[in-house]
Amino acid sequence: MKLDPSFIWTAFWQLLSAIPITLLITVVSVVVGFVIGIVVALIRIYKVPVLHPIAVAYVTFIRGTPMLTHLLLIYFGLPLIVDALAVKMGWSFRSSSIPMIGFAYISFSITSGAYMAEVIRSGLLAVNRGQLEAAYSIGMTTTQGLRRIVFPQALAASLPNLSNSVIGMLHGSTLAFTVSVVDINAKAQIVASTNWKFFEAYLAAAAIFWGLTFLIERLTAVIEKRIHVYHRGGVA
Amino acid sequence: MIKLNNISKSFGRQQVLKDIDLTVEKGDVVVILGPSGSGKTTLLRCVNYLEKPSDGEMIIGDYHLNCKYASKKQIHLLRQKSAMVFQQYNLFKHKTAIENVMEGLLIVKKLSKEEAIVRSVALLEKVGLGNKLEAYPSQLSGGQQQRVGIARALAMEPEVILFDEPTSALDPELVGEVLSVIRKIAKEGITMIVVTHEMSFARDVANHIVFMDGGVIVEEGTPVELFNHPKEERTKQFLKRITPELNYNI
Repeated sequence: MKLDPSFIWTAFWQLLSAIPITLLITVVSVVVGFVIGIVVALIRIYKVPVLHPIAVAYVTFIRGTPMLTHLLLIYFGLPLIVDALAVKMGWSFRSSSIPMIGFAYISFSITSGAYMAEVIRSGLLAVNRGQLEAAYSIGMTTTQGLRRIVFPQALAASLPNLSNSVIGMLHGSTLAFTVSVVDINAKAQIVASTNWKFFEAYLAAAAIFWGLTFLIERLTAVIEKRIHVYHRGGVA
Repeated sequence: MIKLNNISKSFGRQQVLKDIDLTVEKGDVVVILGPSGSGKTTLLRCVNYLEKPSDGEMIIGDYHLNCKYASKKQIHLLRQKSAMVFQQYNLFKHKTAIENVMEGLLIVKKLSKEEAIVRSVALLEKVGLGNKLEAYPSQLSGGQQQRVGIARALAMEPEVILFDEPTSALDPELVGEVLSVIRKIAKEGITMIVVTHEMSFARDVANHIVFMDGGVIVEEGTPVELFNHPKEERTKQFLKRITPELNYNI
């Protein structure tokens, strides 16, 4: 077998059609994971009774098991729960009407939530306690102080780690093909299945992933530059 | 008027404030003196409810609060009656000088943006920072940051402004500019409670001095009474160490 450079190009064009699916999975899991992360991080920092041990267990279990395992557990476990509930409550809804990509959304959101929780927690801990006290001292509520004073600074502090998580989810989204979702990587496999030029197809996929990752890195750099005006951390 | 009745505070088993009674009249400048660990900062933080008193009651203006049964809402209302100037400035790091002052006006006082800007500019000019409106805290010197902190507190028009060692973190050369701002607003009749180690400031500006040690108020009175004729042995010891030139007879 010889390398067929022209097929890399052909595959590249065909793979472009799968970019929306990959981005969709990434964006959904990052956004939902971000919300989960904020809630879990706050529960852990404020040591909310009852919820605190649950949050700790969630983070340890999810970070202690592979992302692929989460997907498989959701894929095989969720239908059991949904169908059992449906029968009990008399719904007409059945698990078979959940689209495949739905399983990817749910399981990857759960995965990224655990990682985000730790990223956000570290950001929150990096904000000086005096910032919240200053907010209190001028009469703000805890919610106002957290939202307007603490969160913006925590996000700035956790930005490098957040971008790491986003990249991780982008690359992790390739696992969705195990539940028959056609993302960039799965598309490469399909494209090559007719002529067996897998290497060329996967090279094209790699180029696309690299390109997307490069965009995320640039975006992070732009935001970092904007917040650098006030946020001068570490040794720089 | 501010009235503290039987304010107590314990951290675990250690009692740091023991039945503190203190009355501050409108327009008073009260300076709290005392060795470190005497509870003076804790007392100040209790007035702003940054520390929750274990017991006692507090009256600020027309607001009355029983500390033992204070609800979140009551604490929130009480906090709006006072504003704090911190030792470490604690300016909002991600906001410019003017945004720091505007924040409370917009969010707590719910002023319109135009009005908040007008007031904030006026306050920053008053503390001598009319040319630093758009500077971030990281671009300001310690003395400038502290003056923004004072403007931020003034903006809330509280019943009382609490100063927690406002010059302790500053270079000696910058202490003067901050003290002169505090002097200026003291003359305008703004009620304030100041924890400080600046003895000359205490003597010149305060009209009431409180000496604390071991979580109790040992002695209080006018500056003349306290500095020139201290009654308690503990007060004399402290003053002798801080201002040896006065040479007290112990």
